[in-house]
Amino acid sequence: MHRRGTAIIVLVLILLLPGLLALWLYPLPVDDAGDRLRWAGRIVGVLGLSCLLVNAALSSRLPGFDPWFGGLTRLWRLHHYIGAASFVLLMLHPLLLAYGALPASTGAAVGTLFPPLADLWVWVGWLALLGMMVFLAPSFAFFGAPHYQRWKGLHLVSGAVLVLALIHALPLSAMLPPVWAWSIWMLFGLVAASAFAYRALFSRRLARFPCRVSEVKPLASDVVEIGLRPEGSRLDYRPGQFVYLAHLDRELGIGYNEQHPFTLSSAPQEDGLRLGIKDLGDLSGALQNIRPGAEVTVEGPYGDFFPPDLDDRAALWLAGGIGITPFVGRARALGHLGGPPAQTTLVYCAENPSRSYYLDELRQIADSVPNFQVASHLFEREGALTADYLDTVCPDWRRREVFLCGPPGMLDHCRRMLRRAGVRRFHTEEFDLL
Amino acid sequence: MNRLVYTVFVFFWGGIATLLIVHWLSAPPVRVPAELPTFTLDEVAEHDSLDDCWMAIRGKVYDLTEYVPEHPTSPRVLERWCGREATEGMETKGIGRPHSRYAWELLEKYLIGRLEADRH
Repeated sequence: MHRRGTAIIVLVLILLLPGLLALWLYPLPVDDAGDRLRWAGRIVGVLGLSCLLVNAALSSRLPGFDPWFGGLTRLWRLHHYIGAASFVLLMLHPLLLAYGALPASTGAAVGTLFPPLADLWVWVGWLALLGMMVFLAPSFAFFGAPHYQRWKGLHLVSGAVLVLALIHALPLSAMLPPVWAWSIWMLFGLVAASAFAYRALFSRRLARFPCRVSEVKPLASDVVEIGLRPEGSRLDYRPGQFVYLAHLDRELGIGYNEQHPFTLSSAPQEDGLRLGIKDLGDLSGALQNIRPGAEVTVEGPYGDFFPPDLDDRAALWLAGGIGITPFVGRARALGHLGGPPAQTTLVYCAENPSRSYYLDELRQIADSVPNFQVASHLFEREGALTADYLDTVCPDWRRREVFLCGPPGMLDHCRRMLRRAGVRRFHTEEFDLL
Repeated sequence: MNRLVYTVFVFFWGGIATLLIVHWLSAPPVRVPAELPTFTLDEVAEHDSLDDCWMAIRGKVYDLTEYVPEHPTSPRVLERWCGREATEGMETKGIGRPHSRYAWELLEKYLIGRLEADRH
């Protein structure tokens, strides 16, 4: 939490730096309302551009970077908010400039927006803004829920938008002295362009670990655990983290080389990797049929579900359905380490025994190491999870660090229950990446 | 969040449409060709400081003294154009880039006369 707070403060300072400089060099004009609007138009332009460039840098998905922000899912949420801020600011930018020119004449206002073609830089700005509308329309669900791969492809337009926005801003920069403007925007632009180039061009070769499927173990009719053997170097990860998996098996017929996130259910001490995958969509459905020997790539690790500084605290793990996977990874690691340093109780919620994947193995680990207990909560038999149930299986649960992973309905239910019980500090991992 | 962004998106196009409609509907400004005095470049040259700054631009003479403190960049960049033919400064900003249409329209507020043709 401390680390995350620091990272966010640093990020906000970087975001605001060009805007604060502009405010300092060009304070709000005092008398003329038109001047004030035009001043505001410039300031929002500066702030919007810094949001756009910094956001590009945040999206690089560089392994090791996201734990600073509390994991990749939190970082994506931050990226979404900053993107929204940037989009809103950059839409206000031309509007304020145009309305600020109204005191001169309506012709001046329209001319500000649509100058003669010779004013090339203004038109480049328009192109950047229209490009932004194209690639952000699905991100903010302008036309309904987006299709994941189409949304991802359209997001590549952001690369052109970054370049156009810089080409627009550099010659027109009126809020900062030219040397400052060039230094700041070139630095921001360079970082953004490197991040974009890494993600769009180089990460395929640099960041993806080639692996081969070594084992496919069905856990239920729609759940498999896939074992992977690294072909080259080993992936260094912590229990509960996740990777982006892409299969290279044309026979699956769907999602060839498309990356999707899956949680590692293996312990870092093992030679290979294991991923628990439930059929929740086209690709995860196809992966149920992947065969041993198939080639895949993994990229990662990402996530910060179990922050290392909380390892020695007593914990309550609440898992539901396929949300058991990060806990399986952690439990398997505890098996290797001889148990957790403090009392840890896993409450595994499932519909019925056949949906309680991994339960036998988890119980075996609990029997073989100290400080670790497993309770199986069956919805069919006991209804929804209650505080009373937790009181029976883990009497001091209110004082423990709570980790929560499961389907959205269960998360909502448990959040309400935890808040009612006065538990404010709990950790969740949500794969709601859009 | 999505709703907010969509609202601003609609507001944006609404704002632009409003501006265009208002512009089309408003009558073109009637410029009464006032009888303006004529100045020579020598007369303009007498007002060559930031405290008293005239400029000759595209055949017209402007008294920009009051505008000097409001200029977006430092008034010092204006100083060398005070008291002289400043069309180049207006058209290039000294960096090869013309002033905006807004700036040209603003300039007309400070018009005080015409430049004598044969001395131009």
